[in-house]
Amino acid sequence: MRLSQKTALVTGAARGLGRACALRFAEEGADLVLLDVAADIADVPYPLGTPDQLEATARLCRERGASVLTARADVRQQKEVDDVVADALDRFGRIDVLVNNAGIAAPSGKAVHEITEDEWGVMLDVDLSGAWRTIKAVVPSMAKQRSGSIVNISSTAGLVGYRYFAGYVAAKHGLIGLTRAAALDYAALQIRVNALCPGQVREEPTLEGRMLSEVARSLGVAPEDQETAFLESQPMNALVNPEDVSSAALWLASDDARQVTGSVVTVDGGFSTR
Amino acid sequence: MSPRISPPPPAGPGSAADLFTGTAFDARPARACHGLVRRMPEGLAAERIAERLTAAQRSGALPADLRLWVEDVAAAAADPAAEALRAREAARATGHGGRLRAVLLRYADGAADLVLVAHRRAVDSAGLDLVARVLAGAADGAERLAVPGDLPRHTAAEAAPPAWGLGDARRAGTTGTVRIGPVEIASEPAPVLLAATALLLSRYADRERAVGLLTVDRADRDRFAAVHLPVDDGTPVTDLVRQAEAALAAAAPVGADRPVPAVGVVALSGQDEAYRPFLELPFPVTFTWGPRPDGAFVGRLDYDGAALHPEVAEQLARHVGRLTALLGAKPADSFGDRAPVGADVELLADEERAALLALGRPQPAPARPATTVHAAFARLAAERPGATALSDAARELTYAQLDEAATRMSAALAERGAGPGTFVGVCLERDADLVTTLLAVLKTGAAYVPMDPRYPVERLRYTTEDAGLRLVVTALDGFPALDGVTVVHPDALAGSAAAAPEPADDPDAPAYVIYTSGSTGRPKGVVVPHRNVGALLAATAEDMRLGPDDVWTLFHSSSFDFSVWEIWGCLLTGGHLVVVPYWVSRSPEEFHALLVRRRVTVLSQTPSAFASLRDVHLGQERPLALRLVVFGGEPLDVRSLELWFRREPHDRCRLVNMFGITETTVHVTTATVTPVEVAAGSRSVGTALPGWSLSVRDARGRVQPLGVPGEIYVGGAGVADRYLNRPELTAERFVDDPLTGERAYRSGDLGRLRPGGQLDHLGRIDDQVKVRGFRIELGEVRSVLLDDPTVSAGAVVLNQGDGDAAGVRLDAYVVLRPSGSVAEVRRRLREVLPEHMVPGTVTAVSEIPLTVNGKVDAARLPKPDQPPAAEAAPAAAPAAEAAAPAQAQAPAEESLADVVLRAWRATLGPEVGPDDDFFDLGGNSLLAVRLSAALRRAGLQSVPLRDLYLQPTAARLAEHLAARQAAGAGAERP
Repeated sequence: MRLSQKTALVTGAARGLGRACALRFAEEGADLVLLDVAADIADVPYPLGTPDQLEATARLCRERGASVLTARADVRQQKEVDDVVADALDRFGRIDVLVNNAGIAAPSGKAVHEITEDEWGVMLDVDLSGAWRTIKAVVPSMAKQRSGSIVNISSTAGLVGYRYFAGYVAAKHGLIGLTRAAALDYAALQIRVNALCPGQVREEPTLEGRMLSEVARSLGVAPEDQETAFLESQPMNALVNPEDVSSAALWLASDDARQVTGSVVTVDGGFSTR
Repeated sequence: MSPRISPPPPAGPGSAADLFTGTAFDARPARACHGLVRRMPEGLAAERIAERLTAAQRSGALPADLRLWVEDVAAAAADPAAEALRAREAARATGHGGRLRAVLLRYADGAADLVLVAHRRAVDSAGLDLVARVLAGAADGAERLAVPGDLPRHTAAEAAPPAWGLGDARRAGTTGTVRIGPVEIASEPAPVLLAATALLLSRYADRERAVGLLTVDRADRDRFAAVHLPVDDGTPVTDLVRQAEAALAAAAPVGADRPVPAVGVVALSGQDEAYRPFLELPFPVTFTWGPRPDGAFVGRLDYDGAALHPEVAEQLARHVGRLTALLGAKPADSFGDRAPVGADVELLADEERAALLALGRPQPAPARPATTVHAAFARLAAERPGATALSDAARELTYAQLDEAATRMSAALAERGAGPGTFVGVCLERDADLVTTLLAVLKTGAAYVPMDPRYPVERLRYTTEDAGLRLVVTALDGFPALDGVTVVHPDALAGSAAAAPEPADDPDAPAYVIYTSGSTGRPKGVVVPHRNVGALLAATAEDMRLGPDDVWTLFHSSSFDFSVWEIWGCLLTGGHLVVVPYWVSRSPEEFHALLVRRRVTVLSQTPSAFASLRDVHLGQERPLALRLVVFGGEPLDVRSLELWFRREPHDRCRLVNMFGITETTVHVTTATVTPVEVAAGSRSVGTALPGWSLSVRDARGRVQPLGVPGEIYVGGAGVADRYLNRPELTAERFVDDPLTGERAYRSGDLGRLRPGGQLDHLGRIDDQVKVRGFRIELGEVRSVLLDDPTVSAGAVVLNQGDGDAAGVRLDAYVVLRPSGSVAEVRRRLREVLPEHMVPGTVTAVSEIPLTVNGKVDAARLPKPDQPPAAEAAPAAAPAAEAAAPAQAQAPAEESLADVVLRAWRATLGPEVGPDDDFFDLGGNSLLAVRLSAALRRAGLQSVPLRDLYLQPTAARLAEHLAARQAAGAGAERP
């Protein structure tokens, strides 16, 4: 059990990669604080996670032996995030791991000059500033513990450009920058901060993730076509599985990575090295 | 963009920058917490419990900020998964200011547990019980739980683990448990338990150690305290519990601003399976006691692997059980009213004592018929007459030639009166004649009394007179002429035509008398019989595979008994003994060349001498044929062997450390040293030689428990006959041991026994010195000195000053490697050692002078260098400036800030003020390095760059350094 006696806070935990990480951590002995907005957001053109999905993640974690605290909060609101962290500390006494997974893939599908102020704003607010807010909220307690691991789920879009995804690409690049700076800020406090860059992740029905579908929809193609297009550009000729990402997150979260900070770990089948 | 190293943001009250200032950190919150698990009445819904909480909060019975967390468990209450979850919940500390947590676990089968965890100082055990009763609906409504708003900060510092625990830092965090009891406690339990533990510590030679005490008493108040109860040996048993009561009343709470005691007691008022008095060991060594339903007390010892060896833990549990039973009953019944604890309380049971004695007594070597040295040699000479026996710079002799020469010489000696019962002085340079003469003396039936020709005439005269010598073989022109003493040149003995005497063959007859100086009194002659030399070889020859292929050196003066090992170890196992001329033995380069040239395989060295040889060897390529190095004569610091092992693997050349005493025939113990021991910094000198026995005793001659230091007693095949002509001293040191029924030698050396029977040698008992009231082991200081990578050899001596107690100090001498500097060595010593142990002076020398026996010769060390004023650490009160040692402490506080500021100004400009921020002044990483160097030049401890970033003003840095020094000095105070 690589996370026994540790508490992990996962944002965007209702479904998709957030759920994958939560379940994996639960299997490794962690207790979990599951945060999700669990509501739709204006300007985001697709349905986000729901309260039921969040509770489903919680139930799956409990079945794996974890104690779970679920919280509905919007990472665009510092107070909401702060309240969740305060509750988590009251409930569990400590937070050892933060996975900044909450993120949106759209509004996208436009060239840079076509993006509206609101579209640009919501994308950066959720995908970049959201991570900054949760880091702000958890770092004081991690500092007192002199330990902590923060895993920021960026993307290959944090490393290379994607046509018609300027907001997303900018936010994910920014998240890597935030990772590197935070790693330096907190190294002396034994708090590690790393970024994880998945490539295109396969959608697994049990995880109810929608990333690939939304990317496809933004580009006006069918999800199968998007998948095929990706496979062709993929050196290992396979999409990334959610557990490939959660395994990397687990490693970064655990003490196995005790000397790893400020690093950018790609799990993309070689996509970004081309 | 050029990189700029940024400071943390300026700290304002409550700002995030507080994170970096760092003192709010508590590594072990679980230590401060306790918990309670209570099954809720069947059918009681969570909603109903929540309502009760709200009602109790409204009435003020429970604090308003208490929340009830509900956790649904996907398993039935008895399911192992639920059990695991329950255990995890009950062990989860409150953190980050949390004082009390209530979690309701709802199991799949409808059962529910309330899990309460609280910070001990916020809610005591009675409080936990009250919360559980209120929520279960079992309280009467009149009681109220008051929770303090602010919790005192819990300190993370922990007292040093006890040395007697033989713990292993690598096992930190692992725990073990030993059950104790049951025992009867007739009176109030807490003072009895405290008294028993304090008594235990006093018997473990650790009487100044504070005892932690955690009492849990729902009727009264819980208490978590550090108690100081030093027990004197003279304290009457019956007074002890009363003293404990008084000490308890005066105890300071744990965690306020003092370290958590390493050893502590938890006293529970009742056995409640659901109550957890601590979530994590409150003390690294924790005794927990509570009454059973029948009133008897049962205990358990829980310990951290860094603090105790499992076998020491077993032993400790036995001893504390015995002492608790003793004090818990009415001690006056068994002891009488005024019986002192020191004399009358027996710690060890008979079988335990027997086991400890057996531990120091390995299987004896296969019995060989006792024989004499010369008879054993004659047998070898007959077997292999043509083998080379002996060579020096000029000659080489076969076994037959040596035997023949010695036989001829023995006839000449016999003519001059040598024979059984006589002693013959031999005062010769190290050459083949010396060895021939020694053998010749033995052949006459006499014993040899070696004298080093380099000894002062007075010493030669003293030895001759003291031993009552009538015959001395020497080539020395200036040998003192004494009435009745025949002095003869070896050349005059070579050509005797007389018939050799019939060789006497009494193994119990003396073979040699070697004079030892000891630290007090006149040198005395140790009379060692032939039988002992045979036993020494029986104990070692097989294990070390000593045989005809070996080439040994005779390196040491014949007046040092290491030479007995070299000469007879070689010649009685068929080897070739290469006699090392004195001048070669003094030059590591020449000696190394000799080892190479003569293809020496077995080398015996003192660690001091070996250090020089090692450096020579590492500085060149020529290979050695060594397969065995035996260390003796001095304590070995294994760390000095690290570099050696890089060049010479331990499976090619075995290194054996042997602790020995002249009075027990050269060696007592043997320990093979490998890189494992080096890495562990082992102080062990190993186990007793087969046939030898050792035990560790207290001042009353009682066997000390495992781990506890005491005087090393040596018995068995090596114990010498007596001190020549010194019956009183002989009676004092060679004792009939009532515990073993055999003769034993009281060594005057301090040691402790390890569970495997290995002995740790802790120095001479009289090597403990007192400086300004602190008891210090010189060996410990020297060990730190040798830890410095720039120091290749070192010595520490006590300087009594001019008789004024305040002038007493330690002087350190070091041989530096090219990269080293005295200032650096001094800085490092200050960093590692508590202030009272830091030598007042450190003097660089080109070599540590050695006695003719190869040990450090304190008398020939130069006058110590006084440290330059600029290098004196203001706060470290160096005794070298002993002119005003008494005032050194007080003004130090002020001047530390000044010294720091001076360094800042030197680095950053003369205008710098104490509160100016380093980075605002344009500080960067280069300037940080310069500043750090300036601080070091000013004699301060090393300042890691990170400290500078975290304490970016001169004033804050000075405070930080002062706190660090205070912490460093405080922790080690005995």
